[in-house]
Amino acid sequence: MNKISALIFGCNGYTNEIVKNIQHKYKNITIFKHSSEPKNLELERLGLEIFDFSDSWEFLSDIYDLKNSIVFCVLEDDAENIFLTISLRSIFEDLNIVALSKNKESANKLSMAGANKVIPMVQTTASIISDILEKPIVTNVLHRILYEKSDLKIAQVEVTNQKCFNGLYPSDIEWSKDHGIILLSIIHDDMSSEFIYSSKAKHHAIKDGDILVVIGYETDIKEFEKLVGGDR
Amino acid sequence: MNRLVVDWAYFLSTSNNYQKTKRFFHNFLENDTYKYKKYFDIFMIILIFLSVAILIREVKSHVDDFWLNFSNYFVSLIFFIEYILRLWVTSSVSEIIIKNYEHDDMLDREFRLSNTFYQVIKVKLQYILSVKAIIDLLAIIPFFHQLRLLRIFVLFRVFKLFRYARSFQTFTSVLATKKFEFITLFMFSGIVIFVSSVLIYVMEANNKNSNIDTIYDAFYWSIVTISTVGYGDITPTTTSGQFVTMMVIIAGIAVLAFTTSIIVSAFDERLDEIRELKTIDGIRKIKDLYIICGYEDVAKEVAKQLLVSNNIIVLDEDIDRVNNAKKDGILALNYDPGNIDSYKKLNIDINTQVKAILCLRENDVENVYTTLTVRSISKDVYILSLLMNDIHRNKISFAGANEILYTKELVGMIAREFIGKPVAFEVIHALRSGFKNIDIDEIMVDDRILLSFATIGELNSKKYRLVVLGVYRNKHKRFFFNPIDSTILEHGDYLVVIGNKVFINEFERYLHTKIRK
Repeated sequence: MNKISALIFGCNGYTNEIVKNIQHKYKNITIFKHSSEPKNLELERLGLEIFDFSDSWEFLSDIYDLKNSIVFCVLEDDAENIFLTISLRSIFEDLNIVALSKNKESANKLSMAGANKVIPMVQTTASIISDILEKPIVTNVLHRILYEKSDLKIAQVEVTNQKCFNGLYPSDIEWSKDHGIILLSIIHDDMSSEFIYSSKAKHHAIKDGDILVVIGYETDIKEFEKLVGGDR
Repeated sequence: MNRLVVDWAYFLSTSNNYQKTKRFFHNFLENDTYKYKKYFDIFMIILIFLSVAILIREVKSHVDDFWLNFSNYFVSLIFFIEYILRLWVTSSVSEIIIKNYEHDDMLDREFRLSNTFYQVIKVKLQYILSVKAIIDLLAIIPFFHQLRLLRIFVLFRVFKLFRYARSFQTFTSVLATKKFEFITLFMFSGIVIFVSSVLIYVMEANNKNSNIDTIYDAFYWSIVTISTVGYGDITPTTTSGQFVTMMVIIAGIAVLAFTTSIIVSAFDERLDEIRELKTIDGIRKIKDLYIICGYEDVAKEVAKQLLVSNNIIVLDEDIDRVNNAKKDGILALNYDPGNIDSYKKLNIDINTQVKAILCLRENDVENVYTTLTVRSISKDVYILSLLMNDIHRNKISFAGANEILYTKELVGMIAREFIGKPVAFEVIHALRSGFKNIDIDEIMVDDRILLSFATIGELNSKKYRLVVLGVYRNKHKRFFFNPIDSTILEHGDYLVVIGNKVFINEFERYLHTKIRK
């Protein structure tokens, strides 16, 4: 049986941090080091695969369950990252690719090359910095919800029991009073998303298959999940 | 006698009142950064223009005695007082006496008052004979208005404008850098005028048809011609005279071109410096300033985001990056952010005027150095620093940064969140970036809000279709998620709200407007 794995292309500081943050979910992590990249002793202990841009990637599907695996393209050179992304996408249509880019221009190219998620480093860092300065409380709260171990969580809950809402519109439901949670957004089955604050969401009855993005305490979210019959 | 003078000098140098008064007048007259100086300058400029207006009016019309007395006595008296005050603050007599006394005492010599007196006179004379002081003195002369000729000295008051208007000072300081060129030009023009005047006099004076009868006429003609004005009231009639004229005209063109080029090059060379001074002058008045050290990729993007609703200034030792910042419409100075002098030159109070200093060089060594420099100037200013390599985190922290941002760690955290809850992650990201105008914001609960609202329930946030995500109690540094309606608001709390940007602004206005009856 093929392995569910996280494949990281690039052997640098970003790789170190990604490994640290994903190893709780992915037991198998494979790091591909480009032949031109410098040595990284810390990562070498994990075992590295050496690759070249001329390599053919078909063999990956023989080893890994690519449908359930994730690929990180974190080479330091944007052009190389784009080339790698396009090489992988041209072979594997369903592969989940997360790529790193220096700026927005490269981010657009990476999206065009087929990356599912692009992290533009400069813009992301700058946004965090300006948020820390301009909205310190919001940044702190969101940081705790997103990244730190706290009782407060953000969760995506799929609705499989629409009856529990009795055909009510989202705006008519007392989310915080009745369920102890705050609803942020609804992702419809066609993957279009609406913030709860928009008038469109106000007039959309919740259906099975919708994904609700909610914030709340872990216990309240579990209760809510039981009610709507979804999984976190 | 010597003892008395020395005692008197020591008394003055140790008298707080005397030193305070002298410092006040020095700031008032000479210190451009002193906040009251500009009012004094404006007052003096008004006096100057009034004097000149009275002089012009007096030529053909009757002027009231009140205005004549105002110009002759009041204005002159003010100028006289100013002259004396400037003479006083320009140097310290007591310091000269003490310095000489201590010097003689150390060498075991008898203190000689005559030597000290000579030095005092020398220092004061140096000031009296300076161009500015001479103009000041001449501006007082209209006080003796009974001598009609002396009235024209009112015009010297106009020259006093150089003292009060900084742009004039800049103009003269720029021209002063080309002193040598101007002297050369003056010598050249002087020689041409002298030679041509003598030549034209020799050639034309005995000609009946010529207008040149005296050497004065010749000088007048020469100056009018060399300046390329050429009134035509005096023209040469002899062939040799015409030849001299041609030579003077050619020399005149050269003089004019040379003068223009000297002035242009003087300004060109000092244009950056003038602009820099102007920028610093503007910065001095700004409050809630962000200082960004370095202008590389991240700094560029941060500046772009902060510029929307903040005052920012970029300091970078690399001129190309400074020029890039200027092109992006940002106040930028070619100063090394790691040098204490850079902050001194800015002439700002870092503790009160600066919101935060951002060390955003993509180089840990530079960021540590800058952080340490800033911390040595101010213990309280908020410093945020970028970290490029995790092994340097301790160093930046030790240098005194309040917040450290390690970009690679950020990528790791984003990756973790993305693999766990991709949809939720995208929602938070959209919220943070104001996607579809939906924003998350914080509103501080101040006394005015507390006058109208006591509890969360009274805020009526639903009316604005906002969700109060929680209350951050600053006092306890705790966040209370989804607070119940009866939660009592306290001064210093922050409401974290989510909703349409426009509605958030309206809600904030509503909170500050409503006062409980």
